[in-house]
Amino acid sequence: MDWECCWSREQIEPENCPYIGEGEEDLLVFQRRRIVEKCVECPRFKNDLARMKGSGYPLSDVLPYILTEFQEQKTQMGAMLSFLNSKTREIKFLREVGLVLQTSLDLDEVLSIAMTAITAGKGFGMNRAFLLMTDKDRRHIRGYLGVGPKDYEEAWRTWEDISRSNFTLRQLARDFQKTKLTSEKVKFHDILNQLTVPLSDQGHIFNRALTGKKPILVENALNNPDLDRGLARILGVDTFLVMPLISRNRRIGVIIADNCITHKPITLQDMQSLETFAFPVAFALERASLYERLQEEVAKQKAANVKLREQQELIVKMEKMALVGKITSSIAHSIRNPLMVIGGFARTLLKGTPDGDDKRGYLESIVRETRQLEDVLSEVLDYSESLFPVTDFWDLNELVGKAMGELEGTLEQAGVHCRLELAPELPMVRIDYKQISYCLKTITTQALAAMDPGGELRIESVLDGDGVLLRISDDGKPLTQTAQEALIAPFFQTQELGEGVGLSLCKSILERQGNSLTIFSRPGGGNTYSIRLLTRKENI
Amino acid sequence: MAKLLVVDDEANIRLLYSQELSDEGYQVVTAGSALEAVEKLESESFDLAVIDIKLKNESGIELLQRIVKERHTIPVILCTAFSCYKDDFSAWLADGYVVKSSDLQELKDEIARVLAKRQRGAYV
Repeated sequence: MDWECCWSREQIEPENCPYIGEGEEDLLVFQRRRIVEKCVECPRFKNDLARMKGSGYPLSDVLPYILTEFQEQKTQMGAMLSFLNSKTREIKFLREVGLVLQTSLDLDEVLSIAMTAITAGKGFGMNRAFLLMTDKDRRHIRGYLGVGPKDYEEAWRTWEDISRSNFTLRQLARDFQKTKLTSEKVKFHDILNQLTVPLSDQGHIFNRALTGKKPILVENALNNPDLDRGLARILGVDTFLVMPLISRNRRIGVIIADNCITHKPITLQDMQSLETFAFPVAFALERASLYERLQEEVAKQKAANVKLREQQELIVKMEKMALVGKITSSIAHSIRNPLMVIGGFARTLLKGTPDGDDKRGYLESIVRETRQLEDVLSEVLDYSESLFPVTDFWDLNELVGKAMGELEGTLEQAGVHCRLELAPELPMVRIDYKQISYCLKTITTQALAAMDPGGELRIESVLDGDGVLLRISDDGKPLTQTAQEALIAPFFQTQELGEGVGLSLCKSILERQGNSLTIFSRPGGGNTYSIRLLTRKENI
Repeated sequence: MAKLLVVDDEANIRLLYSQELSDEGYQVVTAGSALEAVEKLESESFDLAVIDIKLKNESGIELLQRIVKERHTIPVILCTAFSCYKDDFSAWLADGYVVKSSDLQELKDEIARVLAKRQRGAYV
């Protein structure tokens, strides 16, 4: 029989079969493959089969069954192959993602790879994804990052860019982290802000997904009675996927993914793939945020250690100073008693010695020298006490009142009137009460020295920013610049103990406590001594 | 004539005080320890006590507290080589406070001041 189709021929020419395309030329010489791949579909072959039936071939009745079965099997094989291919691709992709997620400790890197994986065509190919994370105090789930185009135009541009480049997923993620992470956060700021949900709201879809530990596919969101309609309006889509992120039993957050641009349906397979992917993402996110917190703790610990070391050094220094102070005060004390006896008896003797007696001169020398030694001792003791301020919060006005009360006699003697102008309701100042009283008294005594009887001494306290200012003003002769400098020159620099260290001791006491002393002389007359005292404790 | 009790653990200082305060016209009785002071306070009456804060192993401030507690209605002037005790709260119980000096004028003035205050009726 003369067949219409070329199936019976071992070798054919290109013009014999119109179905053999470019690149398939080898089929011209392979008869078996040609029959399986081309002839079974060929209408001419079907015609041949019909003719065969008419001519009474015994197999012609059976052949169509076999052929149909063969075709069905072939279709099924094809479907399975494509399924296998897509699964292979998915596994490869998951492996790539997994590798990054397992090794990365950087929260931003984890976020970038996860979000890129969900939205990139090479990944799950969703149009858009939002990541919501549980906050630090575990009360709310908050919008953290959104990724995807905002409109069709942007989507088109992005996809075109991506299809032109040949980046791997990791490269895409890296590129995203470098160039887009911050801008994406800003881009979806309004949506992210509206996505905050309390973890206690059990009925909310996010919490339902977290409690059930299963993704939820929301369809027909605008008319779903189980759903907060606001959510659909915020997202602007009718269909979206809510994927819980759970690491062990810890709720890490939620991913919302949708196809807001293409409106492609979200398939069961999309859901399953995303679910497999959600595990490592949740784990990596948890690890990265734990690592971030660990880093914060380490930094805090380091700072604490530095502070501790400083404190230890200070303690050692203070212990040394305390020892010096102890020795000084013990020596001073043991000298004072005999000195008092010597000087005291010399004075007694002096009283009983007539004016013309030669011995008077000797006795006067003893009295004079003793007094000088006693002055030195007082200053040594004042100094060794000044090394150890005991600071606490005190009411400055009360201190001024008490100190001036003690000086009442001195003021009276000098014939000076003292006017107090104390601001009410001042904050407490952190000072060593004893030492500041000493400073106030010393400064007052210094001021009195410059004043004439009938003068007025003014003491004011005023609030000054984060401190309190105490001003002592006299109306006596203005101090010259040199006198001022000499008065408050750093202790030990210009003066030896025993040469009137009063004011410079005040200055060093004040400065050691974080305060300051300044002197201002008015050319027209009068001097103002300003002490600035701190009210905050961290400056001590 | 006002009668004073002077408490100091150093014999020379007791001698100096006796000498100088007698010259001022006071009747002076001395004690070298807190115990001796308490005995004298119990057997005699005084117008004022001058107490050194540091008495060998005892404290003048404790003696002061005892005097106040046992209701001896006599004023006390504390006397010491240390100026820092001035701010010990217990020392505030004293009527006067003098830093030891070879010039006894300050002490004498303080005694006169406290006695004058007493005379005005503060301790009756």
